[in-house]
Amino acid sequence: MSPRIRVALLALSGLILLPCAAQVIAGLPAFGSTIAQYGERINAITPEARHVANMVSAINFDLRGLDTLGEEFMLLAAITGTVVLLRGRRGEGNSERAMRRPGRAVIPRSEATVLACRIAGPLTGLFGLYVVLHATVTPGGGFQGGVILASGTLLIYLGEGYAGWRDAIRSHWLDALEGGGALLFALCGLAPMLVGAAFMQNILPLGTFRDLFSGGLMPVENLGVALAVAGGFTQLFLEFMEETREAEEPDEPGEETA
Amino acid sequence: MTVILPLLFLLTAVSGTAVVLVRDPTRQIFAIAINGLVLTILFDALQAPDVALSELAVGSAAVPLLFLVALMAVRTQAPGEES
Repeated sequence: MSPRIRVALLALSGLILLPCAAQVIAGLPAFGSTIAQYGERINAITPEARHVANMVSAINFDLRGLDTLGEEFMLLAAITGTVVLLRGRRGEGNSERAMRRPGRAVIPRSEATVLACRIAGPLTGLFGLYVVLHATVTPGGGFQGGVILASGTLLIYLGEGYAGWRDAIRSHWLDALEGGGALLFALCGLAPMLVGAAFMQNILPLGTFRDLFSGGLMPVENLGVALAVAGGFTQLFLEFMEETREAEEPDEPGEETA
Repeated sequence: MTVILPLLFLLTAVSGTAVVLVRDPTRQIFAIAINGLVLTILFDALQAPDVALSELAVGSAAVPLLFLVALMAVRTQAPGEES
């Protein structure tokens, strides 16, 4: 396609699409006006029907649970793809030297960094667990808490160095966490079918409104998401960090098969 | 609230433009992280704490870190050396 045709195509599509977009934007409710009808319905129905205080979790894990299941496997597929692309022999052990940029000073880790990481690391983990557990009560949930937990493990790298980080985090456990979390979510969908209910129907007792274990099946699904996200993101960090290690010999993709 | 929201919109516009205008990749990564932080505050001011928490965890912690590592892995390879 020559550049001239491309510009003509752009102008043509702009001519058609821009008025439509302008019309839609003009039809939007004004900024800061009343909540949309769907939101009002959710706010009115969910506390009584599901005993859940955090509407976002109620939508994610119950009313629109199937969408979240799809997203869960999307994340699993994305991380699997990254691991397949990046996993080589580089950085598998914990003794490989970090790559150095020539001419750049190497500053040793200060004791203040180590101390700050040792204090902040457990606190970050605790906060991540809090966000995960209170999914049905306060803002947050499995995804947010899982990412916080995964980021917390990076403080081990910052404080203890690469070797300490690799000692603390086992790649196989991360695989199990990631796959197990997704499996748990899928089982939450299938288990109600064993007792004759619909896929992902909330069959567990709903619990008390504003209680930690309210929402029936939601805390279980939330736990599945938290496990998958925490394991998946840590795996992602691990694979990327391995790329900064110095390879003893260049690892060509497919060199074993060639 | 009437002062805070326009101020936050302005900050979002400024930090978003900064991400585009900063040309040094390392500084660009920090510009992205700052933009994520500004968006987090904006979402919180618009009463969307769930989205704010996601933006904080992903936009200003996880993504910049992956970019930093990727950039470092690219830079340490000598020019002309194929990986």
